[in-house]
Amino acid sequence: MSAASADRFRHEALMYGSREEFLAGTLPFIRDGVRSGEPVLVVESPEKIGMLRAALGDDASAVIFADMAEVGANPARIIPAWQDFVSQHGAGAKRLRGIGEPIWLGRSADELAECQRHESLLNVAFASGRPWWLLCPYDTSQLAADVIDEARRSHEFVCVEGTAGVSDGFRGVDACGAGFDAALPEPPDRTPWIVFDADRLIALRRAVSRFAYATGLSAGRATELATAVNEVATNSVVHGGGKGTLRMWKDGGTLLCEVSDGGRYDRPLADRERPLADASGPGGLWLANQLCDLVQIRSHDQGTVVRLHVRDPLPSGERAG
Amino acid sequence: MDDLFNAAGVGDAVYADRHLVVTRTTNPFGLRFAGEIDVTNSSAVGQAIRLVSADSPWPHVDLSRLSFCDVSGIRALVEAARELGDSGRLLLHGLPRQLETVMRVTGWSSMPALTLCACGEMT
Repeated sequence: MSAASADRFRHEALMYGSREEFLAGTLPFIRDGVRSGEPVLVVESPEKIGMLRAALGDDASAVIFADMAEVGANPARIIPAWQDFVSQHGAGAKRLRGIGEPIWLGRSADELAECQRHESLLNVAFASGRPWWLLCPYDTSQLAADVIDEARRSHEFVCVEGTAGVSDGFRGVDACGAGFDAALPEPPDRTPWIVFDADRLIALRRAVSRFAYATGLSAGRATELATAVNEVATNSVVHGGGKGTLRMWKDGGTLLCEVSDGGRYDRPLADRERPLADASGPGGLWLANQLCDLVQIRSHDQGTVVRLHVRDPLPSGERAG
Repeated sequence: MDDLFNAAGVGDAVYADRHLVVTRTTNPFGLRFAGEIDVTNSSAVGQAIRLVSADSPWPHVDLSRLSFCDVSGIRALVEAARELGDSGRLLLHGLPRQLETVMRVTGWSSMPALTLCACGEMT
């Protein structure tokens, strides 16, 4: 593997088609890191973590492991987790290493779109700062060809069958941070909409709580969703031209709330910037990402759309009071 | 909203709008917020606290009747707490679950100037 980028962030996709190829690509990477005294964080499925622990033997004790299903259930929470790792373990280290597999078969179409956005934004988030090497395994035996193609566009390096090199398809850091306007699936016909301004925020919160509770969300989750929608709607009021539109609908077990306004969304990482420990506090989109299962932001010439997803983890009949 | 006014005892109000009433409390000394705080009225939070902090650097604040508080409202509480100076504290009572959640998620629950007070019910 090339060490040409040892002084900066190296974002590399690892293509694997079998358990053997996965181990052949990840084990030397981890062992080299451990032996060079580099901090290593592996964010993977519990199954793969078990596999790696067993194969690493004593070296496993020098590695930090985390469950990607927890860290990256909402993919917008993954960059802050990597930032924590780099800032907490980077002092004095020449370089750090990470393995992260955010995309697996079974991610919904919406989750996949946001995971792919996340992979692109990693290049922006770590364009400057401490040097570290992130290896992102992609299972070519399970994932669709267009998912693999996109990985070649979002990673500057790609490793196939043990050979790493520059990815010809990489779209570049600037394009990774450019506005995102990929189409979102349309809500059902005749989905009602509510126009709001500052004075209608209170009515908006009531409407969201009522809708969420009526569709089976627990009271606690309904309040959290209303809190998240209120923050996003407040952005519309303060930064998005003073007003906006809310639509709410249900898709299977997922509740969706969409806020659109005429504002511009031009800071690509604004929704995943950890708030500073001072009085300025977080942006509304950070809060939305912590309270919701998925947040989709799309910016168009006409404005910005923010779609919040909440799944109800409770089986029906277990609705909490 | 009439219920809110009556419950809060609007005669003692230092601030009132259509969905928030702020009243003085005497035992312990401080303020009670009842209703909802969002971007339309969060500026009143700091003004109200400044009103009582002139008399005490450790004002008590009863939030138990606050049914909603957005990030701008908590930011206003945090800023007001900081204005009390290094030794000042905003002593919070009856933190509702919604507020607790937002403070945890925003990282504000670890602010030393905001202290949860267990000295009992405020009147």
